Amino acid sequence: MKLTIGHLYPDLLNLYGDRGNIQCLMRRCQWRGIEAETIAFELGDKIDFSRLDIVLLGGGSDREQMLVCEKLKEIQPDFKKYVEDGGVVIAICGGYQLLGKYYKTDQGTITGLDLVDLYTEQGEGRLISNIVLKSDLFDMPVVGFENHGGRTCINNCKPLGKVLYGSGNDGKTGYEGVVYKNVIGTYLHGPLLPKNPQLADWLIAHALEQKYGKEVRLEPLDDTEEKAANDYVYHRFVKEN
Amino acid sequence: MKIRTMAAVFAAKSAGFICRKMGRQGVTWAGKIALKINPDILEDLSSQVRKKIFVTCGTNGKTTTNNMLCAALEKEGQKVVCNHTGSNMLNGVVAAFVLAAGPTGRLDADYACIEVDEASTRHVFPGLKPDYMLLTNLFRDQLDRYGEIDITMNILEEMIRTVPKMQVIVNADDALSAYLAMDSGNPYITYGISKPVQKSAANEIREGRFCKKCGARLEYSFYHYSQLGDYKCPSCGFARPEIKYDAHDVKVGDQLSFQVEDKHLTANYKGFYNVYNILAAYAGLRTAGFSGEHFQNMLQKFNPENGRMEQFRIKGTGVMLNLAKNPAGFNQNISAVMQDKTQKDIIITINDNAQDGTDISWLWDVDFDLLGDASVHSITVSGIRCQDMRLRMKYVDIPVMLEENVETAIRKRIEDGVGNLYVLVNYTALFSTHNILKKMEGEKE
Repeated sequence: MKLTIGHLYPDLLNLYGDRGNIQCLMRRCQWRGIEAETIAFELGDKIDFSRLDIVLLGGGSDREQMLVCEKLKEIQPDFKKYVEDGGVVIAICGGYQLLGKYYKTDQGTITGLDLVDLYTEQGEGRLISNIVLKSDLFDMPVVGFENHGGRTCINNCKPLGKVLYGSGNDGKTGYEGVVYKNVIGTYLHGPLLPKNPQLADWLIAHALEQKYGKEVRLEPLDDTEEKAANDYVYHRFVKEN
Repeated sequence: MKIRTMAAVFAAKSAGFICRKMGRQGVTWAGKIALKINPDILEDLSSQVRKKIFVTCGTNGKTTTNNMLCAALEKEGQKVVCNHTGSNMLNGVVAAFVLAAGPTGRLDADYACIEVDEASTRHVFPGLKPDYMLLTNLFRDQLDRYGEIDITMNILEEMIRTVPKMQVIVNADDALSAYLAMDSGNPYITYGISKPVQKSAANEIREGRFCKKCGARLEYSFYHYSQLGDYKCPSCGFARPEIKYDAHDVKVGDQLSFQVEDKHLTANYKGFYNVYNILAAYAGLRTAGFSGEHFQNMLQKFNPENGRMEQFRIKGTGVMLNLAKNPAGFNQNISAVMQDKTQKDIIITINDNAQDGTDISWLWDVDFDLLGDASVHSITVSGIRCQDMRLRMKYVDIPVMLEENVETAIRKRIEDGVGNLYVLVNYTALFSTHNILKKMEGEKE
């Protein structure tokens, strides 16, 4: 078995240890004997989505997102089809905002990819903190770090999880991220995947199912270090009842 | 002399004295008290500086560069005010002046060398009015505090423009810093390393790959490290400016040496990045009108201190303490450590207190794989976020030991190590680790 990961615009969207997310997907495949490769795309490159099994859209500064959004129009129709057909996407931070219709900042409005029914508007101050979620998709809590000026409204979409500590999508509703088909969007970096191995495996399993058309049971890995790091954040920030 | 200045100086000096007696870092406290009593204290004191005021800004190398410039000026017989400890926010800057002033609030100084935290320039510049700014480099650092590197640049540029006569002495090899200096409209002077010296790791994190002026991708003929190198924009013509103080014949090993102007400079410490620190201090001294004939002499005796490659000897083990707080700094530190080809033990201590940056995701932008070498006898991860650090090392296939408490980690490695220990720490672990090592140095064998 083999998976191909498409990393979109790492030149521009590479804040907050996104490198770690790519490494995590690659290694968790390789540790199980699943072949994995990553293709990094630069702005203006033609992207053949039919060749990709997982797409990673990382975080960048507002200025860099502005540069990216100009070019996004060219890939939007193909990207949209990929998502609707069940393609796996992990979008983080700025990448999460770009999934939606728009991101309105006081410098202007960034037009998004319009892949998921959500939008973002700049709020007063940035939401910066460690963050812990409980998601229906996993037994382990999801832990990470958030740092965003935008407040994201996910309309009637399903959130990734309930916020146990931190701010989440808008600091008000108590929810964080979005799950739509095989797309996960979230503000969590830290990076996200190494400390949340179940989320990484969710992406890998769905990508394999999508590609090979059968249910996949991933071989369990020794996640001692991963669990210890996840546990540490959970226990430090969430008081247990 | 204003009565309020006298009162402020007196109160702050007493507070600073008491705090230090209590073994605390009393410096910022003294500044806070002085500001409470006289909000104009910084202006009152800094306007008494007889000749010129330098500020040092930039992500990495501030403390070393600033202290080195201070030492160089002192070698020229000048009296200098300097925030040596690296307390670089408003309180720390004020404290440096207050503690240097006489009890009546009179300041006897020819020069001031003040390092200023980039975001704090907003609070420091209105009272300080610098004549020169040394701008070392701009890298990603503490994104949780500053938001984004673009925000830091905007603040700096705005503040540079408030002192239009201030000359910016800038690292020409950094496209971000050079752009800032040029775009601000202030007069600027450049230093840099015009020719390639060593190979830069291909996958290193590089900031600002796109032209700040027009958004096109910058072209590089080579990189020194991170984004420092020789760049030009194919679209708008923005390019590395001509270098006035150019280091050539650069040699990096157990010690550093290079040629600048008619001088051959050598320094007894490791790390390519120190070439930039030395060069910046030299450019500062030359810009202030000195010939620099005593510079090499100063350099020979200069001890970076404060945990910048600070050396200790404990029970027969040589211990080197060094600060590493962001990807660019850490990568440079790792390559400096690896220049030592003998067997070594390494302790990496990562905290996530407010001053460190509470976001530790930057650990994943550091090229730790370079530590996978036969000369590395052991690696121990320590500090508040040692679990994150251990997981990070799993991804470069390097086994580590975990010991949250730094002192315990140091004691264990001195006990069972090879007698050559490097301790790499981020900011808040620096002072405590320094004190632990000092204490251990004093213990009986």
